Amino acid sequence: MQKDLKNITDSVMDQIRNDKIKMRPRIYFILGSILTFVGLASSVVASIFLVGLVRFSIRSHGPMGGFRLEQILSSFPWWAPVLAVGGLITGIWLLRRYDFAFKINFKLLILGFVLAIIVGGLIVDTIGLNDALVRRGPMKGIMRQYMQENNIQGESSWRWNRTP
Amino acid sequence: MSDISKLTDEEIVEKVRSSDRDLYAVIIERYTNKLLRYASHLVHDDDRASHIVQDAFIKSYINLNGFDTKKKFSSWIYRIVHNEAMNVIKKFQKEVPILADFDFESEENIVESLEQKEMSVEINKCLNSLPLIYAESLSLFYLEEKTYQEISDILRIPMGTVAIRISRAKKLMKNICKKT
Repeated sequence: MQKDLKNITDSVMDQIRNDKIKMRPRIYFILGSILTFVGLASSVVASIFLVGLVRFSIRSHGPMGGFRLEQILSSFPWWAPVLAVGGLITGIWLLRRYDFAFKINFKLLILGFVLAIIVGGLIVDTIGLNDALVRRGPMKGIMRQYMQENNIQGESSWRWNRTP
Repeated sequence: MSDISKLTDEEIVEKVRSSDRDLYAVIIERYTNKLLRYASHLVHDDDRASHIVQDAFIKSYINLNGFDTKKKFSSWIYRIVHNEAMNVIKKFQKEVPILADFDFESEENIVESLEQKEMSVEINKCLNSLPLIYAESLSLFYLEEKTYQEISDILRIPMGTVAIRISRAKKLMKNICKKT
């Protein structure tokens, strides 16, 4: 044991003194934390928006939309749920990096996270935040393009379609 | 030097980070034997344990600025050793069992009735036969004398899981030690 102690101490300290190993600067860890948080927040926001878009897309086919399955399938923005799930997975992966994550039952954490995003998406769609995003938000381009590609007529059509 | 010996690990880390990197040797001397013992129980091989501990000290130094001095350094360094050991075990998976299904036939708990010292001897004898997830918890609790909170921080599992693993490990120990 004493031999191991001396060997390890000498070996590690030699590498430190000869600058073969260096401490990472503090900014590396600060940036890491900030990027993790930004990534987590972005994945949540993106997932919420995409859940809203999926709901809007299903509703935008009119009161008889449920019977026009083929039309829904052909014009449905499949990239949205794929990206939403991608955002969720990224968010969960980032969440695991936080120190507190292991102290909570992880299955519950994931369930809560997914539920929060779905509920968030429904709330955003219900209160009409999507309307604001179409008019002036950061997702303006995506929503406009989606509506043009699928012949959805502007805000008035959207409003009409919102009626149950 | 006597002043240095009075400093806590966290205070030494602060000094290593800010001014005197040579003080890192004090940290290494404080922890090498403990970590070697812990790593040996995990990988069942002294040479590998030695490499694990050395790599852990190097990684610890590289990431020292990421350590929060409000937390316990000992839990942090044990966590690094644990991660290194898991990497080694995965690499040589055929040689070291990670998980095993065991039956718990008896609820009787004779280990609890033993004195702490006797228990340590018993644990040393039988620990190598235990599945890893139980061996690591038991080793940390009895040999390294860590609290449930510290074990939870090192293994990154909830405290309830620590308690369950230690309780099951005791029962397993009883069965294994009876056979040997």
